[in-house]
Amino acid sequence: MARLFVQLKLRQLRNALIGSTAARVSFIVSTIFAVLFAIGTFIVLALFRGTYSVELTSVVFTSIAFGWLFAPIFAFGLDSTLDPASMALYPVRTRRLATGLLAASATGAWPLANLLGQLGVIVGLAHGPLGVPVALVAVVLEVLFCITLARFVTTGMAGLLRSRRGKDLAAFLFLPVFAAYELFAQVVPKLASSGKLTAASFAGFDSWMRWLPPGLAAHAIQDASDGHPGTAAARLAALAAVVVVLGWLWIRSLGHALVTADTSTQSSRVRGRGRARTALPLSRFGLRGTLAARTWIYQRRDPTSLVFWGVVVVIMVVVSIRLILSKSATPSALELNLVVSGLFGAAFVGVFHANPVGLTGPPFAFEAMALTSRRQLRAYFSGQNIALCAIGIPLLVAISFGLAAWAGHPMFGFPAAAADLAGLGASLGLASVFSVAFPYPMDKRMGSPMLVAAQGYGAYRFADILGGIIGTGALCSPVIVAVALTNADPAAVRMPVLVVCSAAYGLALAWAGVRIAAIAAAGKMPELSQIAIHSKV
Amino acid sequence: MGEIAIEVRGLQKHFGEKQAVDGINLDIAAGSLAGLVGPNGAGKTTSLSMMTGLLRPDLGKVLINGLDVWKDPVAAKAVIGVVPDQARLFERLSGAEMLEYSGRLYGLPADEARSRAAQLLDTLDLAADARRLVADYSTGMRKKTMLGCALIHNPSVLFLDEPLEGVDPVSGDVIRRLLTRFTGSGSTVLFSSHVMELVEQICDHVSVINKGRIVATGTTDEVRDGKTLQQAFIDLVGPRASGEEGLSWLGSSSS
Repeated sequence: MARLFVQLKLRQLRNALIGSTAARVSFIVSTIFAVLFAIGTFIVLALFRGTYSVELTSVVFTSIAFGWLFAPIFAFGLDSTLDPASMALYPVRTRRLATGLLAASATGAWPLANLLGQLGVIVGLAHGPLGVPVALVAVVLEVLFCITLARFVTTGMAGLLRSRRGKDLAAFLFLPVFAAYELFAQVVPKLASSGKLTAASFAGFDSWMRWLPPGLAAHAIQDASDGHPGTAAARLAALAAVVVVLGWLWIRSLGHALVTADTSTQSSRVRGRGRARTALPLSRFGLRGTLAARTWIYQRRDPTSLVFWGVVVVIMVVVSIRLILSKSATPSALELNLVVSGLFGAAFVGVFHANPVGLTGPPFAFEAMALTSRRQLRAYFSGQNIALCAIGIPLLVAISFGLAAWAGHPMFGFPAAAADLAGLGASLGLASVFSVAFPYPMDKRMGSPMLVAAQGYGAYRFADILGGIIGTGALCSPVIVAVALTNADPAAVRMPVLVVCSAAYGLALAWAGVRIAAIAAAGKMPELSQIAIHSKV
Repeated sequence: MGEIAIEVRGLQKHFGEKQAVDGINLDIAAGSLAGLVGPNGAGKTTSLSMMTGLLRPDLGKVLINGLDVWKDPVAAKAVIGVVPDQARLFERLSGAEMLEYSGRLYGLPADEARSRAAQLLDTLDLAADARRLVADYSTGMRKKTMLGCALIHNPSVLFLDEPLEGVDPVSGDVIRRLLTRFTGSGSTVLFSSHVMELVEQICDHVSVINKGRIVATGTTDEVRDGKTLQQAFIDLVGPRASGEEGLSWLGSSSS
């Protein structure tokens, strides 16, 4: 059974190379990343010698295990052997199935990269006659731990991940991963360069990580290298026991998953309103209100929309965090930085909503049956913008004031809010125009909770992002200039004027975008409908 | 034939090298329940998409109640309802929200949209699930919701693409009865299907499309010409080679 599953896995990998261009590119890129990961991990672990080497190795081992814990949630669907339900029809006993699935899991570029990368400990942490053999055993056990952990999580969540809610959950997980990455990329180099993050900082982490399975592996290598074979053996035995228990739990959950119905799609109802009341409260404000109502509901219920807003917040924080943390920035530099942060946040609101045709997908064709005239299309674009502003304005302004307060200059929230308002108008105006000028179908790739541009439309997505950021910046340059030129004026006069004028300017830009988009869309609704129909959202 | 509700002249569409629709002509009388039948890939969906203003034809003209779909789309779209082959519903709206939204898009006043949505949900046997998200609906419930969305503005012509595909018999019966009632009031229905029994049972007019061309059209009796519609269809479209000789082991339990 193990051989059959390994062959199946290898065949899948080989088929990726003869499949569609997207599958081929995805496979090649994934393999390149796996190789880079292996080389990088090996070098990093090999460098950990001397003081704090065991602490640093523990952190790396634990980080890799966390990676394996989260990866299946995103990768589910990439590998059909992962889903036990696909095996439920075959007359195979659970234990044999488990062996086969485990062997399939250990096959491929990433498991191999994991093994080879972690062998860096042989050069780094391990030393002495006992250190190296114990390191080999520890690394194998650590890789087995990672694989069984991933299997256990996947099987336990298989029912959920096949359902709408599970996929929603996976979409939400994108946000902390993105935030953690951005924070790491922005804060860690800063802290390291200022001397606040050193190898000694990891000693604190190790005090609890040493009791986790990856920590046991790292400390077993350390013990063996330092001439304590008994302790090393005890740690390895504990790690092996964890792997066995995890494997046993996995086999049990596998047996359960094979015969249990997926009940996670049984839905809850939308919040109750009496049937006497309308389901779409805003629809009483005409077609524009109806469109705003639909967009508003989607912003609340669609996890992708919620993730977009979360990313906007992360981007705003990330743009400002370095300057705020530096404590040495001048007030005028801080003020300008907060303005730029607001503009970035606003630009991304537009970027994320610059392709409503593709994002809406086939239901757009349903709307297109009723929306044809310029007046109707103006209502369509402006209705969406109203809903986005109803969320975007309070959110961006709150973040701007929050960042200003954190920086110790709460009044700087006003010029930042001015940038938010002008920026939102500019970005939504551009988004309306782009949605007709560069519409493209979206695709939900297997295993990814986030939408991507369909194959062949990557350039359109790139144009949306680049055009949205540069365009918003260019259109809002008067606001930046006004903030910079007036920073010596009395705040009581300057702030209200900046905010009111920027809001009016933003409104004018958004309205201009809506009008241009409506004129352009009126002549190409069938073409837009076809793009929407080809979207797989 | 009485007043013409759907008039199609010389409709053509090609995708690259493939001629998907090759100059079809069609006249459907007002009050008809007409079927458009054909094998997979014959051009049914492409034709219906062009008739409803969702796909621009290369050539040809489509008139709905005398209104040119491609010259006066606003007026033409106001009098038609469409149920597409694939669900085009907003998954994150509830059934009630979806129907009300559809009514408002077609310009119904808010109260009227709400009232018609409630009545349609009752008729379509969806009232109990009105507050559940469309994302959690079964195929049959989705088809019924789409039908409700297409009917809420009381169109005079209804287009349906494979309306009973994947629908259970009970839901199918609900849809069938609603369509019969709809045409009984003088409205027109054109639907595509490859379920011959259904077309034979409920349609008074049938057109057979194959390789982008109408190969037969007329009343159901005229098209079937004394045979079953299934047989007439196979005669028109041509049987396909089966190549079953190689399955000698099939049916044996020995290996």
